[in-house]
Amino acid sequence: MAMHEEITRMLFSVIDELNQLRPMEEHLEKSLETPLAGDSGRLDSAGLINLIVVTEQKTAEELGRPILLTDDRTMSRVKEVFRTLGTFADYIELRLNEKRDE
Amino acid sequence: MRSKRDAMEIKAFTVADLRTALSSEDFWHTKTLPITKHRALSYSHNPRADQDDPVLLVAYQDRQVIGYLGILPDKIFVNDAVHKFGWLTSWWVDPSRATTGVGALLLFKALNAYQQKLGVSGSSKEAGKALDASQKFRALTTLKGLDIRFRLNVTGAILGQIPALKIFRVLFKILDDILNEIVNLRNFFWKRRCDSCQGLTFEYISAIDEETGQFIQRHSQDDLTRKGKAELNWMMMYPWILSAPLKDSAGKRYYFSSRADRFFYLGVKVFERKNEMAGFVMLKVRDDRMSVVYSYFESGHALSMTAAVVYHALAMDVRALSLYDEQLVAGFSELGCPHWSARTVSRGFSLSTALADIPLANCRIHGGDGDLAFY
Repeated sequence: MAMHEEITRMLFSVIDELNQLRPMEEHLEKSLETPLAGDSGRLDSAGLINLIVVTEQKTAEELGRPILLTDDRTMSRVKEVFRTLGTFADYIELRLNEKRDE
Repeated sequence: MRSKRDAMEIKAFTVADLRTALSSEDFWHTKTLPITKHRALSYSHNPRADQDDPVLLVAYQDRQVIGYLGILPDKIFVNDAVHKFGWLTSWWVDPSRATTGVGALLLFKALNAYQQKLGVSGSSKEAGKALDASQKFRALTTLKGLDIRFRLNVTGAILGQIPALKIFRVLFKILDDILNEIVNLRNFFWKRRCDSCQGLTFEYISAIDEETGQFIQRHSQDDLTRKGKAELNWMMMYPWILSAPLKDSAGKRYYFSSRADRFFYLGVKVFERKNEMAGFVMLKVRDDRMSVVYSYFESGHALSMTAAVVYHALAMDVRALSLYDEQLVAGFSELGCPHWSARTVSRGFSLSTALADIPLANCRIHGGDGDLAFY
């Protein structure tokens, strides 16, 4: 399976987990277009923190590749990385590819 | 057409930067202030902070403040080991930018700046939710305290609930006065028959003297953060809240408390009959509430120390007294001092998981630890 597809599936399972904690009307759609953070974002501080932490855990569990998403590098690009689920998936892929090339 | 926004920028102010900011005009020109001048003065004189410690993270966008987070550097002492860390304080995000990720950004920046070693003393509901979500913090302990009401405020309580009844304000005030006079009378007789109050003498200090410093040192060996002369003097000299009659222009632009009608610290040395120092308490009075923020004494003097604290609460005419020391709380029940109500309250303390390996099970935490002495 292509890595981007694997990451997307993993992120959809993250969304499932996040949605369990959110009221029905605030459920996030499992789509790469879903806005996360930003002017039209759907996540408040606690929601975004939860997304980051659960994604770190699931990347290790489901992809077998631990990744740190709370470092200064990610944080300095927060608006760009977390604009949509798709941009987040792209960033995870970039970081995982970098780790593989190391 | 909506104009394009500048990128969000986080600036980390170290102690040295904050000192510079204090004399810079630009820093204080934003619509929202990330700190007040007196709080900045306090941060920059923290004896536990180094010059290059980040103490304030500010998120700017379009040259305006959209969020900020303060960090109070402190030290944990366990046996002979010292561990530097920071207490999170004053975490604020502009509600209109709540979904921009700024809150998360500030928290993770703070964790990274302190090698993931942070502590939290109490937090708002929103902050608590975000901290829980981070899974980076574990509860250290919860102090069980007492909130004791000595005087009634019927006027405030009723008008707070039903503002339409303000036409009866004078009647409520009279009722308050009558009820509180009954309490005054009961307290007068209590003081006369209170054995623990007899023979107590006091010395007031606005700065920790040599005798008190040594006394504190002897009685703080089990304390989590072992505050000493320098730290207590710093708190008393650089309050975050000033006594002032009205909210000033800076206070209106700052989200957290910056003034109160009455705010001060008082150091009280308590002596028993033979001029023997029984203990020391650092009291904080904010409007009609008194709190014991730090207390040092031996168990044998617990009752006398409780009596001394209660004596001061009555003398200072406060409506409420907060106690978070286990022995003072127990002592209050024994004293039998007249009061309207005594409610159990709690204060939670958490530390980040990066500090989880430190054996802290028997450490003593004071009611003023973290940033709680300042509010």
